[in-house]
Amino acid sequence: MRNFVRFIAAAALTVAGATGALAQAKEWKEIRIGTEGAYPPYNNLNAKKELEGFEIDYGNLLCEKMKVKCTWVVQDWDGIIPALQANKYDVIFAGMNATEERRKQVDFTAVYSKTPIWMIGPKSTKSDDISPAALKGKSIGAQGSTIHANYVEKFYKDSTARLYPTQEEANLDLLNGRLDYIVADALALADFLKGQGKDCCRKIAEVKRDDAIHGAGVAGAVRKSDTALRDMISKAIAETMADGSHKKLEDKWFKYE
Amino acid sequence: MFDKIALLGFGPGGWGLALLQGAANTISVALATLPFGLALGLVIALWKRSDKVVLRAAATIYTTVFRGVPELLTLYIIYFGIQVLLQKVWTGFSIPPFVAGMVALGLVLAAFSSEVWVGALNSIQRGQREAASALGLSKAQAFRLVVFPQLIRVALPGLGNNWMVLLKETSLISVITLQDIMFIATRANVVTKEPFLFFGSAMLLYFFFSLVSAWGIGKLEQRTHRGYAAFGGATR
Repeated sequence: MRNFVRFIAAAALTVAGATGALAQAKEWKEIRIGTEGAYPPYNNLNAKKELEGFEIDYGNLLCEKMKVKCTWVVQDWDGIIPALQANKYDVIFAGMNATEERRKQVDFTAVYSKTPIWMIGPKSTKSDDISPAALKGKSIGAQGSTIHANYVEKFYKDSTARLYPTQEEANLDLLNGRLDYIVADALALADFLKGQGKDCCRKIAEVKRDDAIHGAGVAGAVRKSDTALRDMISKAIAETMADGSHKKLEDKWFKYE
Repeated sequence: MFDKIALLGFGPGGWGLALLQGAANTISVALATLPFGLALGLVIALWKRSDKVVLRAAATIYTTVFRGVPELLTLYIIYFGIQVLLQKVWTGFSIPPFVAGMVALGLVLAAFSSEVWVGALNSIQRGQREAASALGLSKAQAFRLVVFPQLIRVALPGLGNNWMVLLKETSLISVITLQDIMFIATRANVVTKEPFLFFGSAMLLYFFFSLVSAWGIGKLEQRTHRGYAAFGGATR
């Protein structure tokens, strides 16, 4: 029994020592990037099952700047942070806003995108007033586990919040007349209003950003222990802002009207 | 109407191939899970009927837990939870999504199928085992040659049900990055804005698998009943 305990203790020490050494020596030659692949124009999958979108181009650009090899992993939005923590990939580029709530779990790089937030509704909506009092008793749709969901739940207590697994499902329900409003990123909504929602719906108003809930903007998420990786990516982001390559990609992918 | 059908085709911009690959992933996860889940279910069922109180208790706890916990949670626990725990002692450990999906769905299938196996085991009279023993068969031989062929006949309809449920549960595996039918359908919908077309196609694919399964299970049932058919009417 004594021997067994000693063996376990020795084994634990060896493992701890080995991981300690590994963490120190870790030099980033390869980065695995997690994304959702269902949030155009940030990131989506095309018919050939290839990733495309602003974040895909931008992520690859950052990797070029950092001179590292990058691979992409497509993970559903539900579980996108647990998968980061389970070491399935090293950073998330998935249109994720750096919020206080998420900062409890992960660390964020510098912000690389900041989109306006809109509320849209059926064309028949008469008033452009979106104050909580005006929307009392109305149903507001948003994608679950997002800043928009938190926003609705915090400020619109007298309205019915309907939360969906993806933005697409919220859009469908607005189209079907089950929702009075949707709140989401202007980009995602502009896309919808140009296509499917052309005949049914319109932009009602822009939502005023609340920094506590909406966070600083869209940024890459990394594990809290990977401070070196975080700084490396933030540095590369600053470079792309300075040399205009970030602006070029934004112009390519983001079209509001 | 017909221009939309091209979205399901195999040309440029057509999602046909992607959907078929999704279908292949769905069916391979289901098929890989089946033997593992059923075998584990049978073991649990035998434990439930064991003389040893420890085994009986273990089996009861197992079925209570895995029938009670939602499959989605089981998937998360296996894919994320186990990995986070094991990485504390084994850095670099990574559980492949396919294995995680197979294990998680298999654990749930085992819990449900064990009840079917128990019911089938109860239907076999004690005399059958006694007669086998009187003929000099060992316990293992008696199970393999006498009990099991009768067991499978009684259990098959219930197990067929379990299989159909499993087939549909695989639609959860995209949360652990496996690109199944639902994964492709949602991605295609996001890009093309054609929900009816793609979720309809997904529905037809699942429906096709169910039809083939129902036919296959029917054939199997006929075969396991072949000794009875001679007495007129297989299921009478």
